[in-house]
Amino acid sequence: MEFAINIKDGCKAFALERYHATMFRAIKRKILRRPFSAQHFLALQNINIEVSPGEKIGLVGDNGSGKTTLLRTMAGLYELSGGHIETRGTKMILSGFGLGMCDELSVEENIYLYGTIYGIGRDDINKNFHEIIEWAALQKFVGAKLKTLSSGMVTRLAFSISRHVQADIYLLDEALSAGDKHFKDKCGQVFEDYKKGPKTFVVATHDMEFVRRFCSKALWLHKGSQMAFGDVESTLKQYADSKA
Amino acid sequence: MNIRRYLNLLREIAFSQFKIKDQSTVFGFVWSFLNPLAMLLILYAFFSMRMGAEIEHYAIYILIGVIQYNYFATATSTAMRSLYSMKQLATSTIFPKDVLVVGVVVANAVEFILSMLICVVIACASGIPISWAVFMLPLVIILQAMTVLWIGFILATLFVFIKDLGHIYEVFLRVLFFVTPIFYALSFAGNGLPRYVLLANPLTHLIGFSRDIIINGKPFPAAPFAILLFANLILLLLSIRLFKKFEKKFAEYL
Repeated sequence: MEFAINIKDGCKAFALERYHATMFRAIKRKILRRPFSAQHFLALQNINIEVSPGEKIGLVGDNGSGKTTLLRTMAGLYELSGGHIETRGTKMILSGFGLGMCDELSVEENIYLYGTIYGIGRDDINKNFHEIIEWAALQKFVGAKLKTLSSGMVTRLAFSISRHVQADIYLLDEALSAGDKHFKDKCGQVFEDYKKGPKTFVVATHDMEFVRRFCSKALWLHKGSQMAFGDVESTLKQYADSKA
Repeated sequence: MNIRRYLNLLREIAFSQFKIKDQSTVFGFVWSFLNPLAMLLILYAFFSMRMGAEIEHYAIYILIGVIQYNYFATATSTAMRSLYSMKQLATSTIFPKDVLVVGVVVANAVEFILSMLICVVIACASGIPISWAVFMLPLVIILQAMTVLWIGFILATLFVFIKDLGHIYEVFLRVLFFVTPIFYALSFAGNGLPRYVLLANPLTHLIGFSRDIIINGKPFPAAPFAILLFANLILLLLSIRLFKKFEKKFAEYL
């Protein structure tokens, strides 16, 4: 069967470093033939999931449960320490809005910078420039430096640009945690449109309502382990029961 | 990633780096030329009577050396820290990380090119006849950018894992200033070991090429240029391989 993301027995361990690596310590350890760090922390263990193209996965779990690590692993930013991962199609990861923007540059310059970092072609940015500005309601601020904008405005601008990113797999990390009700409603409309589309989504969130509304499946992580993966309602119920 | 997207990304990164560098200062870009000019005044004041006595057009001689050394020092140091200073971007988005290093080298190269142009204008104004050889200056600039790039790739990779490289490199750059014929001639080193140390320094040759073009009005010797170009190409390819080999580990260690 076709899949967009497939992980088998996925494990990710991070070395627990008590000290910063300095050249002196690196040489000392090399001479003494000691491994750099004997202690490891398992951020992910025994992850087994298969995501079909077009599925929308809600990734839930407490802080520190491994959601960001899993998304970064899917994005190819981290390598698995054990197991196997395969993804098919182009990917984009969005962890927080505005990452990559420069305070000292203008709104206009930031649209080009941010858009290009996320893979939008210059022609597409030119074509959609006014629509991006209008959606973010920043018509009066095109020439203003980003540092003069409020954080809400920056979030609006970043979300407005990221709507134009073309990828097969979207990995969103707490992307909906910021913004007022009006902004969330606007974003909700964007996700409604995505819901019917063929794109694959994995969204890490604490917003259970969003998972119910947007996702076709849910994955619950706890301390790096996969507790449940499948039907949204039953997974969320198991997660809620665990907290009771 | 296709070449068009890569070049787009490079343009945006280089442009943002160039713009934010001097945005908050009143004189902006002028500072990057005032810096070598101030250095020139100090070196000229102290050394023109002795070391500079036998060197023709000593002020321009120093200026060329200082501009080329400054580009090397600034661009390699910034490239070394480029991944670390854009840590959030490097660890949380999908794009080739090498573009951050190349972007820094290109952004600094813009200032370098402008400074070299100003240097040619000053040389011309001070009575040095500028010959057609000046059209060969871009080749020297490209060769120096290549040198900066491969060193930048190696430093950026190592700096992710070993942070005290920053301090070591600072000391190295201070030593390098004196082990490069910036305010003295190559003959000053005599015929012993110091001369070979100077000759092993690529900056000695790069600065020598520019002096041949601007002060002596003649093209640089082809053989050393070809050797340096070939060596730089090999080293650039090897440094890219090193960077790519460790790229997957960056997000974890940054």
